[in-house]
Amino acid sequence: MNAIHRRDFLKVVAAASGASVLSIPNAHAAKPKARVVVVGGGYGGATAAKYMKLLDRGVDVTLIERDRLYTSCPLSNEVISGERDIKTLQVGYKGLARHGVNVVHDEVTAIDPVKKTVATAGGKSFSYDALILSPGVDFNYGAVQGLTKDLSESRLPHAWKAGPQTLLLKKQLEAMPDGGRFLIVVPPGPFRCPPGPYERAAQVALYCKHHGKGKSKVVILDANDSFSKKPLFEQAWKELYGYGEGGMIEWVSGANDGKVERVDPNALTCYTGFGEHKGDVVNIIPPHHAGKVAKDLGLATFKDKWCEVKPENMESVKLKDVYVIGDACVGGELATNNAFPKSAHMAITHAKVVVASLAAKFNGLPPPVPLYTNTCYSVVAHDWGFSVVHLYRVQNGQWVYIKDGSGISPVTFGTREAPKPVPRIFRRLEAEYADGWLRNVLKDAFA
Amino acid sequence: MRKGLLAVALCGVTGSAMAVGDIEILARTCNNCHGVSGVSAGGSMPSIGGLPSAYLSKIMKEWKYDKRDAATMNRIVKGLTDDEINALAVYFSKKRWVPLPQRASAAAMAKGKQVIFENCEDCHGATGSDPDIDAPKINGQAARYMALELEKYRDGAFEMPHRKMNKIVRKLNGGEIDAVSDYYGAQRK
Repeated sequence: MNAIHRRDFLKVVAAASGASVLSIPNAHAAKPKARVVVVGGGYGGATAAKYMKLLDRGVDVTLIERDRLYTSCPLSNEVISGERDIKTLQVGYKGLARHGVNVVHDEVTAIDPVKKTVATAGGKSFSYDALILSPGVDFNYGAVQGLTKDLSESRLPHAWKAGPQTLLLKKQLEAMPDGGRFLIVVPPGPFRCPPGPYERAAQVALYCKHHGKGKSKVVILDANDSFSKKPLFEQAWKELYGYGEGGMIEWVSGANDGKVERVDPNALTCYTGFGEHKGDVVNIIPPHHAGKVAKDLGLATFKDKWCEVKPENMESVKLKDVYVIGDACVGGELATNNAFPKSAHMAITHAKVVVASLAAKFNGLPPPVPLYTNTCYSVVAHDWGFSVVHLYRVQNGQWVYIKDGSGISPVTFGTREAPKPVPRIFRRLEAEYADGWLRNVLKDAFA
Repeated sequence: MRKGLLAVALCGVTGSAMAVGDIEILARTCNNCHGVSGVSAGGSMPSIGGLPSAYLSKIMKEWKYDKRDAATMNRIVKGLTDDEINALAVYFSKKRWVPLPQRASAAAMAKGKQVIFENCEDCHGATGSDPDIDAPKINGQAARYMALELEKYRDGAFEMPHRKMNKIVRKLNGGEIDAVSDYYGAQRK
């Protein structure tokens, strides 16, 4: 009944004021049920803003985002290899405005958690009853000696936030000679998009294989000793591109001196503890942490990098009525190494948990029991993909990793003693599902 | 005027239709890939809103209990209880079926119509909107998704339990599969 009443109510307002349907959100300015401000318009922030409106139109929702066009990080490795046009990853904010979200393109300069206000560079101030921070990550360039922000935007692109750097890295790959070396430098975990560097290696190899650069090498210099979906990547690398000795792709683990400490940008050379690696293209992903806006508020309590939140509703453990979602937060079953992966799907999940909790709170209803899910596809060739899924429930106020609803695509069929290869149709389906997933998450978050 | 409006607004507050029930929470996690109310953005992902609950719960349980292969969904549903699966099936079955007619070439439409007349129409209907009681609607379903589903039946390595579908689809070639998918995907009604 509520929805019907609400619609009737809005009709009355619209008729009385002569306002068009599109201007109805302004009607709430007089007396909104509550004011929610969302900072950051990636997958997490966009979903939070949209679903807050879907769950309760009487809540006033403002989304503050710097850019007018969003570029999806997921599947942006396919842009580097030329398998995908970057336009398929891009979306604006008109869809959110149609839901009645007040979209403000501006930069947050200060948050006052006592007065509950957000100030912007454009000189505006927004009051909130609940503040949802979805700031993504910011990079610590200084962690690699010799690296700077300027170098990341020119000679040494990270392309770990999709957009201009994605296209820059693509150009550098295209200009690389046959027999060239493409270095991917991976920071210590946890980092955004756990399987991303390894998918990128495959996409770069795919490009080289089909563009007359078959003698090239892709070398992953890793600060870590293992990685997401490792057996699936290693199997695909081996079969498609050659892996290890004599292959196109090489992985140097942290234990094998893979951690890059320093870079010489002019010589395009990376230095590890004991070795040096000269590249033709050097793709350094700098260590990163919760976005500045959350870090400046003192919310990055986990290793001074990530924001700890409450399992039941993603509220910051430090500040009341402030919620942190997406890559900036840390959650999941940390004790068993089953933390939330920093993925788009997870960010969308976080957003839905927060707004369900807020909708209940604003309407005096009991708090709902949340559920957290993740699905993450990796595409290593146009007909070869695989995935990992995660399920977390909240029990006794704690996140519980549900093994039965989690796990990677099968590596082999058959038995352990007599393994058989997984039929190719499974890999082909998941490459196709990655594309369907992208279309749907973009729509779920932004349309 | 203002007082009157407030009264209406307050009346709304006490309403019981706030979408915060447990099943809504669970169903919302499906939206990521299947769309709000189960209306997909298309491509390889199917719309599920408005399909029969018996059909939806049967397939999810076949995945859960390894009676039916899947590339991804089998892992996801293993984390759900049978009660949750049943509730999800009922939830999405109560949504409206929203066809998303997609463009198809004249050649595919002509070929698709012929193949459907000979093979599919008995159970799925001529346009996919009037199927047998245990079959899903497929008018305006995502064409790419349907082609991939039919590939599963054609591929001997992929376990699909529906005997009749297995027998019929294995008679079709790749071009016929694409044409059938395009034809049903193009239907509005």
